[in-house]
Amino acid sequence: MARLRRVSAVLLIIWLILPLIPLAIWSFAGVWRYPNLLPQIWSYRPWSFALSDQSGVLSSLALTAGIALAVTLISVVIGVPAGRALGLYTFRGKALVELIILAPIIVPGIAVALGLQTVFIGLGLNNTVTGVVLVHLIPTLPYMVLVMAAVFAAYDPLAEDQARSLGASPAQVFRHVTLPAVLPGIVVGAMFTFLVSWGQYILTLTIGGGRVQTLPLIMFQFVVSGRNDITGAIAMIYILPGVLILILTARHLTGRSAALTGFGR
Amino acid sequence: MRTLTIAALLATTLAPIAHAETGDGAALIAMPWDKIVEQARGGTVNMFMWGGSDSINQYVSGYIGGILMADYGITLNRVGITDTVEAVNVVLGEKEAGVADKGAVDMIWINGENFRTMRQGDLVWCGYTDALPNNALINWENPAIANDFGVPVDGCEVPWSKAQFAFAYDSATLTNPPKSIPDLITWIKANPGQFTYPAAPDFNGAVFVRHVFYHAAGGAENLLGPFDQAKFDAAASKTWAILNDLEPYLWREGKTYPASITALDQLFANTEVALTFNYDASQFGLAVQNGSFPETVRSYGLTDGTIGNTNYTAIPFNSPNKAAAMVLQNLLLSGAAQVEKATPAAWGAAPAIEVDRMTAQDQARFATIEQLPSVVSMQDLGKAAMPELQADWISAIEQGWIANVGQ
Amino acid sequence: MQDRLKIALLLAPALIVILVLFFGGLGVGLLRSFNYMPVIGLNDPNLDAYRSLLSSPEVYRSFGLTLYIATTSTVIATVLAVATALLLRRSFPGRAVASFLVQLNLTIPHLVGGIGILYLFSQSGSFARLAHEYAVIAKPADFPALIFDPYAIGVILTYVWKEVPFITVITLATLQALGDDHETIARTLGATWGQAFRHVLLPQIMPGVLAASAIVFAFTFGAYEIPALLGASHPQALPVIAYRSFTDADLAARPQALALAMLIALISGLMIVVYSRALRGKGRG
Repeated sequence: MARLRRVSAVLLIIWLILPLIPLAIWSFAGVWRYPNLLPQIWSYRPWSFALSDQSGVLSSLALTAGIALAVTLISVVIGVPAGRALGLYTFRGKALVELIILAPIIVPGIAVALGLQTVFIGLGLNNTVTGVVLVHLIPTLPYMVLVMAAVFAAYDPLAEDQARSLGASPAQVFRHVTLPAVLPGIVVGAMFTFLVSWGQYILTLTIGGGRVQTLPLIMFQFVVSGRNDITGAIAMIYILPGVLILILTARHLTGRSAALTGFGR
Repeated sequence: MRTLTIAALLATTLAPIAHAETGDGAALIAMPWDKIVEQARGGTVNMFMWGGSDSINQYVSGYIGGILMADYGITLNRVGITDTVEAVNVVLGEKEAGVADKGAVDMIWINGENFRTMRQGDLVWCGYTDALPNNALINWENPAIANDFGVPVDGCEVPWSKAQFAFAYDSATLTNPPKSIPDLITWIKANPGQFTYPAAPDFNGAVFVRHVFYHAAGGAENLLGPFDQAKFDAAASKTWAILNDLEPYLWREGKTYPASITALDQLFANTEVALTFNYDASQFGLAVQNGSFPETVRSYGLTDGTIGNTNYTAIPFNSPNKAAAMVLQNLLLSGAAQVEKATPAAWGAAPAIEVDRMTAQDQARFATIEQLPSVVSMQDLGKAAMPELQADWISAIEQGWIANVGQ
Repeated sequence: MQDRLKIALLLAPALIVILVLFFGGLGVGLLRSFNYMPVIGLNDPNLDAYRSLLSSPEVYRSFGLTLYIATTSTVIATVLAVATALLLRRSFPGRAVASFLVQLNLTIPHLVGGIGILYLFSQSGSFARLAHEYAVIAKPADFPALIFDPYAIGVILTYVWKEVPFITVITLATLQALGDDHETIARTLGATWGQAFRHVLLPQIMPGVLAASAIVFAFTFGAYEIPALLGASHPQALPVIAYRSFTDADLAARPQALALAMLIALISGLMIVVYSRALRGKGRG
């Protein structure tokens, strides 16, 4: 049994790393043609091009991060209260509300984006960053609410009442009682939200209309035009923020976190 | 501190871009050129163009964009797209939604069917080309320039580049590539799995199919002029028969076709197929320069001739930056820019303006341009050039391929 | 009463955003699929788009392909994910590395995974070159066609690569919340490992696993970029032909594109039913 575990673990580790290897090698390839296993000529050119001004990669990185951060911020502000309502209370129509909030996780973005584009053109939101931020909210907000609802389901509001009875103002109650208790959940929810927005493609393509060039759009253009070396460099840059976020929030993902077990109560 | 940074990031991503808007075309045409330049100064121009070639992107963003900023203070925003129809759709969608003055597109690199779509839908701004000083460098008497795939240009666009279709092969592994369509058909059957072409509606795949169509019709002369259903049907049935017959001998037995010309180039670079082709032969030189193709790649035209075209830049009716777009077009037409474009390091594409109308300095520079060994010379190709058909023929051939061969 | 007002205020912003953006977009899409958009002058709704969809063999082939991709990816990913969750449950040397990589995979966008699979499995990719190096094949065409192929193997591989960690993480969280107790009791009472798994553990994690699978199915059914990148030119996945129709210069294709989008929404809507049933079943055990 233990041997089976060890072998499967090794296979798993290899399998998880495997697709990243050719990407990494391509990012240092000057000339790499079939049938060579490794580049005929190694080069820094892909990286120097990717990091240069003319490639637009760095500004796109900032844009993609900016959009993801905006989406995350809005999701937190809107999603935490909604999660509180669903986690702490039962009320008539709760199942319907849960369904409404869940629907965007299931229904693929393309089904909504095509129809939404007409509305956005009329509102002048098409081809704008604001429009892209709004449309990214669709798949991300439900995740935030889902996570926060689970967190609040495991949360006891008694401590808040106690603090209030001792004379604390609502703002103080929030800052010193509620927030510390739900912060791990907010971090997990924010991470999900950021990553969903970070990896978005079709929503940005449809609503952004080519004017809002996020990193996945640029990477897609390079891979279909056969510039595998630049694609490799961009891919490495593209996964970096995710790795950083993971390292920063890792302790919240493992452990007895009710965050991923759905709505409670 | 963190909240401040987040707020700052939010502010920069959500803030609108402010620039001087010059959407009133009629007013612009009435002004002298100097005033138009003044109007354009400090503005932005959003140019939508096929983004599949790194070097072309660099020529536009770097060289052209650099001059635009340094001499005129105009910011060039190059928007790379996979297919020109995407830009046309943006303008179409905007017209449909009633957006008449704040369009997202200021200029499109365009020709053929897409130009016809824009003309038919009144999506393009016309009548201003005489105001461009460098318009004098264009030979509008040449029917190949005055007509875009059979549709009269009528002052609605200006030429940018000339292109002619050519094949490429690796001289290290292939010694006698087929040099005519009948030879190609024989060669494909003798070398199964070594050839394929991009599926329509890819621009380059479609023009390859047109070569087979001309062959089936017995020559381009029989097809010139407006669309003729009878002539089309006769040639089309032969063309589909040829292409379907070839399918089992193609790469992957014709069960799938590469999605685009760049996908075909990749197959060629990886030796999965032995031949590739392109409407713009300079692409082969660029691929050799960036290491994608081996140095032994050579290109050639066909003995029965290959199809050539002129491509253009057009300004949509609802562009809010028409003055800046006019300045950009004028720059693209200038002798210096056209000669730079013809250098293999930048792009290698033939000028669309008359060489003998350029300044002596530009002409001299043009004469000294060294051709790359991998790129067949424009003069050689030009000896056997076939014209493009009118746009109706082109859409019919495309639709026909999708219905009869693609499925 | 005051409670109800508080609940309403807490929920209002989220509900408004989702109702307006999501249901609004869906609604407008539905209207346009009937070719009904008075704002731009389309005033008589009709079912032409749906009729032409239902009579197009191309659409049926695409639908079949997309269903096949979604089902295969979901089934394989679910099975592998449960196995992975069981693997990572107990500690063993290397567990920390494996767990970290599983979580890392969650942060990697699908497109990066797809491109990686492309570079690994294409006929001139890394595996093909290894085969050539060891004289197993002589030229690219000798290597099996796993990308741009009729069985969408590359697409399915990419989805499996990305979704196994997703379902694994959810299953692990469920396992941790459940604890070992029931299983331990079953084993003390004499059940084998297999029996304890089938009769105790599996029913307990099933609701969570089903819920995650429903999400994965809906996602793989409606995703665009992976089939666009790795799929054959014909038949193409439903989202790919929907987007292609939408960006066609011929405006007549627009209602068809939206009808396809509605079809995608409908199929995934069925998944919502599965998901909520699975969650309601979670109350037991």
